[in-house]
Amino acid sequence: MGLDERHYNITTLNKLFALSALLLLGTVGFLFFNDYSRKWKDYQNDFQNMEIEKTRVKYDGEMVRLNADPEYKKLQDDLKKAHDAYSTQCSPEKLKSATQAKNDLTAKSDIIKQQYRVTKAQFDAAKFHYEEDAANEHKDVKAAESHYQKLDQKTKELKLSSEKTDADLAVANKAIDDCGMALKEIERKDRALTKKAAILSRKLKKIDPNEMSLTNRVANLVRNLPVVDLANPTVKINQVVLKDIREDLNFLTMPKVDRCTTCHLGIANPDYKDAQQPLRTHPNLELYVSKDSKHPIEEFGCTVCHEGNGRATNFTGAAHTPSSPAQAKEWEEKYGWEKLHHWDRPMFSSPTVQASCFKCHAGQTTIAGAEKLNLGMNLIERAGCYACHNIDKYKEWPKPGPSLIHIASKTTSEWSYLWISDPKSFRHATWMPSYFGQPNNSDPASAARSRQEVHAIVHYLFSQSEDYQFKPLPTAGDVKKGEEIVSSVGCFGCHVFDPGNSRPVRDRAILKREQGPNLIGLGTKTSPAWIYDWLKDPQRYHPGSRMPDLRLSDPEAADVAAFLSQDKNSAFDKKSIPPVDEKVLNEIVLGFLKKTLTQSEAQEKLAKMSLKDKMAFSGKKLIAQYGCFSCHDIKGFEGYKPIGTDLNEEGSKTTDKFDFGFVQIDHSKEAWINQKIRNPRIFDIKKIKASDEKLVMPNFNFTQEETEAIATAVLGLVKEKPGKIKPRTPENIALERGEQIVREFNCQGCHIIEGEGGAIKDSVNDWLIKYQGKEKAEAENIVKTFSPPTLKGIGAKTQTQWLFEFIHQPEIVRPWLKVRMPTYKFNASHLNALVKYFNVMDKEEFPFTEHVNTALSPEETVAAQKMFSTEYFDCMKCHVVGDRLPSGTQDTWAPNLALVGKRLKPDWLIRWIKNPSAIDPTTKMPTFFDPSNYAESGPPDILSGDEDEQIRVLRNYVMSLSTLPLPSKATPEVPAILPAVEATAPESTPTSMPSNQTEEPQK
Amino acid sequence: MIDEFKHIVNVLARPYIMFPAMILAFVFIFPATDGLMKINRRMRLHRMWTKKGGLIIFAVLLAAFIFGLTDPNFRLIVTKPDNVPIVGLIFLVVFFLWLALSQAYENDARAEQGLKPNEAEDAKENILVWPDLVYIEFIAMILISALLIVWAVFLKAPLEQPANPTVSPNPSKAPWYFLGLQEMLVYFDPWIAGVLFPTVIMLGFMSIPFIDNNRKGLGYYTFNQRKMAISIFLFFWLILWIFLIVTGTFLRGPNWNFFGPFEYWDIHKLEALTNINLSEVFYMIILHQRLPSNILLRELPGILILLAYFTLTPLILAKTLLKDVYKSLGPFRYSIFIIFMLLAASLPIKMFLRWIFNIKYIIAIPEFFLNI
Repeated sequence: MGLDERHYNITTLNKLFALSALLLLGTVGFLFFNDYSRKWKDYQNDFQNMEIEKTRVKYDGEMVRLNADPEYKKLQDDLKKAHDAYSTQCSPEKLKSATQAKNDLTAKSDIIKQQYRVTKAQFDAAKFHYEEDAANEHKDVKAAESHYQKLDQKTKELKLSSEKTDADLAVANKAIDDCGMALKEIERKDRALTKKAAILSRKLKKIDPNEMSLTNRVANLVRNLPVVDLANPTVKINQVVLKDIREDLNFLTMPKVDRCTTCHLGIANPDYKDAQQPLRTHPNLELYVSKDSKHPIEEFGCTVCHEGNGRATNFTGAAHTPSSPAQAKEWEEKYGWEKLHHWDRPMFSSPTVQASCFKCHAGQTTIAGAEKLNLGMNLIERAGCYACHNIDKYKEWPKPGPSLIHIASKTTSEWSYLWISDPKSFRHATWMPSYFGQPNNSDPASAARSRQEVHAIVHYLFSQSEDYQFKPLPTAGDVKKGEEIVSSVGCFGCHVFDPGNSRPVRDRAILKREQGPNLIGLGTKTSPAWIYDWLKDPQRYHPGSRMPDLRLSDPEAADVAAFLSQDKNSAFDKKSIPPVDEKVLNEIVLGFLKKTLTQSEAQEKLAKMSLKDKMAFSGKKLIAQYGCFSCHDIKGFEGYKPIGTDLNEEGSKTTDKFDFGFVQIDHSKEAWINQKIRNPRIFDIKKIKASDEKLVMPNFNFTQEETEAIATAVLGLVKEKPGKIKPRTPENIALERGEQIVREFNCQGCHIIEGEGGAIKDSVNDWLIKYQGKEKAEAENIVKTFSPPTLKGIGAKTQTQWLFEFIHQPEIVRPWLKVRMPTYKFNASHLNALVKYFNVMDKEEFPFTEHVNTALSPEETVAAQKMFSTEYFDCMKCHVVGDRLPSGTQDTWAPNLALVGKRLKPDWLIRWIKNPSAIDPTTKMPTFFDPSNYAESGPPDILSGDEDEQIRVLRNYVMSLSTLPLPSKATPEVPAILPAVEATAPESTPTSMPSNQTEEPQK
Repeated sequence: MIDEFKHIVNVLARPYIMFPAMILAFVFIFPATDGLMKINRRMRLHRMWTKKGGLIIFAVLLAAFIFGLTDPNFRLIVTKPDNVPIVGLIFLVVFFLWLALSQAYENDARAEQGLKPNEAEDAKENILVWPDLVYIEFIAMILISALLIVWAVFLKAPLEQPANPTVSPNPSKAPWYFLGLQEMLVYFDPWIAGVLFPTVIMLGFMSIPFIDNNRKGLGYYTFNQRKMAISIFLFFWLILWIFLIVTGTFLRGPNWNFFGPFEYWDIHKLEALTNINLSEVFYMIILHQRLPSNILLRELPGILILLAYFTLTPLILAKTLLKDVYKSLGPFRYSIFIIFMLLAASLPIKMFLRWIFNIKYIIAIPEFFLNI
């Protein structure tokens, strides 16, 4: 075989090589194409085009505006004239010699300056050598010295001549500049007028290829080319790096990086409100994203709230989560979306995104702007989820259900049986959840077991019930009077009386009125004697109750008891109770016995038990199993731990920690939690479980909206604490503590605090119409006067000591009010926290303030009395003073001035008298000193017309009122004499109006 | 109908059915002795290695995959970017097996007719490294580059969440080339599966030149002249290596449970795995008495069985089945050969014992961490 022989046909190989090389080239080309055809690049191009269009529209608009502006027109004419003038007068031909001189001098100056720079450098070097040589006593020191001096001389000369040339040049320039002075001035004006247009035009030149210079167009093209684009392309990934918010990489953290703005380009730009996603503006720029908001994107990024993978730059990779199946379908079609399994914390869907607020605002009771989360928290508070599920936020909250320690004195075992079996059949929207008749215990065998379980539970509760002595009922009570008291005294701040059958759509306002139970059917549930006793002192029956004491007199309480107990639920009364079935009961008992005993021991023990023993034994075990003791005080369960899952880090759990059973729902945390709240036992379906292994979470019958809200709150309970939490300043802590107490005791049921609350107003309105005979429109007009006062600015307004004492033991400030500030069993910690809260809210000094001298000289007293009298301000026309009522009708009455001295802060009072509507725009208090013409507003004949003095004197006078005799003039006009505020025992007064002022807070 | 078929496949894929079936098929497809070869011929299994046979094998394999892809569970596992190379592996192994054996059988046929093997012709030809070898290597390189680029573009590596050392993926799988070792961990303690066996495998490789004294089949493909050597090698390669990799990839799911090819990988699947030791079988089940407290006495049955396995079996085999081998190797080399063989056979034996009798350990002395 010769050397030129080949095993393969070389031509074929060449062809094969050519083909495979082309194939490789093709795949490399495809690789580049694939790498460069990313969706976010399209979005950036779309955005660029929209930006060009929007800028152009703005620019055109600006130009139209300018063209319509006569000033601009005139300026353009002037400019043109000035240009003409300049070109004729100041053209280089005209100023030939000056121009010539300028050119020559500039050239000369440039040369000298260059020479100077060179010589200066040589001089510095020579100086160094000379110094070195001299210091080291080198033999060349002489030569170095002369070299140095020569250069020194030369530098100085050059500097001199440079300065001279500059001076000459300035002279030459001045001649030319002076000539163009007029033009320059007009040009400056033009620039000022067209500033906006110029900015827009510059922007257009930068982004619009049609406006760009050719160089820029080519440059833009080149910088976006593959490979070259590593330098500085126009189409590029945008990102924010967040130093304070760190990504948890397990045993290591690093700054969060969000690249969301690579696609969401218009997110901070209000011009893109109507743009298609992903370019659309953020829906709430006031709160988020923009520089002026509380959460600017540079500091907070996106994924700290939204979750998802901030570094991803494609739709699926970012872990977007659809809000509905319909949206999921749309996304699949539009973006090729699929569920990302490789990210533990996918984005929140829009219905639950507020969960994230909790991360940083965990201490707050309400979070402004997070309505869904707030509703969720309020529902958790009202439903008492925290009783079974440990949530640190509610560690100190009382048990949500009533005490069952004395249950036998309150109701019957029959009622209890029916109630536990099906609470909703007694009260259609009760907060007591349903344990029985649920998906996992509705089959006939379980239902039979349930019937005996309830028997056992009821037996245990009643056999353990402790004796309780009622206070004797003084009279039978008057139902009609009772009804009026209930509707006027303030019960409806926390309770409703809703016999309807439809479940209310619960919003946060309604929840405030559901602080206590719906008052229907009490006649079926309990006796008038119990109600009477409860009203007189709720904490005697249930020490942990949040029900306050309304200081009802004995007859009043009897009337209310009579009214409440006459409402009966006849359908519920007619329900029958199944008999005790010992066979089923035996099984229940045996099941519990076998947990600790062997089968035969258990059988033996069962045989020895009486029926009562069995019921008591299994009752206790069942209460422990269902966790009844978590919400109710039950004897024998002191110190038991709550039975639910700890929810403190529920939002951080990964999806695989949830048991979806055989329920066909989306396998996501969100879906599971929603499903669990909506129908808690559903995950038992199709599973084989022993009775005591079954899920026990009861059903609260939450609606879809409520479920979503609660799920939002639960998802918000997470492990991580970003570096941006609400600062833990003493002020913020005081605010949070105060808000918590306000929420716990439902102060906002009656009062408006932080712009929220006052739900009682509707019932006051009803009372005005029903019992005061007011027309609807009139009632609406005056309802504010008869409602509890708003507490806005209460910290600035009232003295700390008075506020403390008032909350502790209220006194009468507004005698015309039917609603009463109740007496709560607050402890000092509560009171201090509340007083601090109100003061911190108004940025007041706390707890001590400087003393203000309110003494008056005799002359000042006379002046003050004059102003106070009918001649001038006629204060007593509206204000109550001590026991003297005002002359006007009740709806014009105003607070008791006799209390001002100890009640109001002197500084606040000055501001109040000066301009009341500045503090409370809806106040009825007249503005005596016109703020628009303050210097002339006061009466000129008092204190030589000095308004500041008049106000100060009036303030001091009012503050002294409880101790000074009243001006004699006022006396005859007083329509009625009231007993002194703190006189007369409450029992002796009738239940009509004056009794309000006479009662004494219970000690 | 299709569902029932899939169910049957799932049942057949259970290891205690599939594994024996594969071994049985192996014995006949790769006959190690003349007797087996006769059966092979009679069953016409040797036709697998003709062109027609190869086409049928490929067609069946392809059809099976195409049918499988219509099933969502099968599709999900097979098309996972991580698993695609193993699909490729199945096809490539089958192809090269066919390629080698078809040439071997062709040469065997020539040898029967007294002709020299095909490769004898090739030996006369000189092939130059340049350009013949280098050129085709270069072309192959270009084509492979193109393939890898396209592969990388279409089967993307996902961007996952930061790794969390406290959360391990379920199932946690070794890289594909170690799946055989991982499978062994199910049946043996780590010191055997992870230390002893790999060492023995390497020592076994080292001993091959000293044990294999068959001078036939050098430089050409043949099956008939090296039946025993090729069968043993292919048993290791196909059953104990490739098959375990394929099993580990496609049939081992969450919690390392076994799943049929059309079965959904349910993370909650429970299998009753209550295993017992040989000592318990012996004393409690057979003799109905309690376990002796003396360790040695307790483990005596296992120790005896193991001793017998490594001493009696070689002797018996030397007199019976492996008479010829013993004769050609001599006592020393025969001992080495048979020890390696028995060690290797212990893996499938232990697998069977586990599947069928739930045997956990032959010798279980947890007191000394000695569990075999």
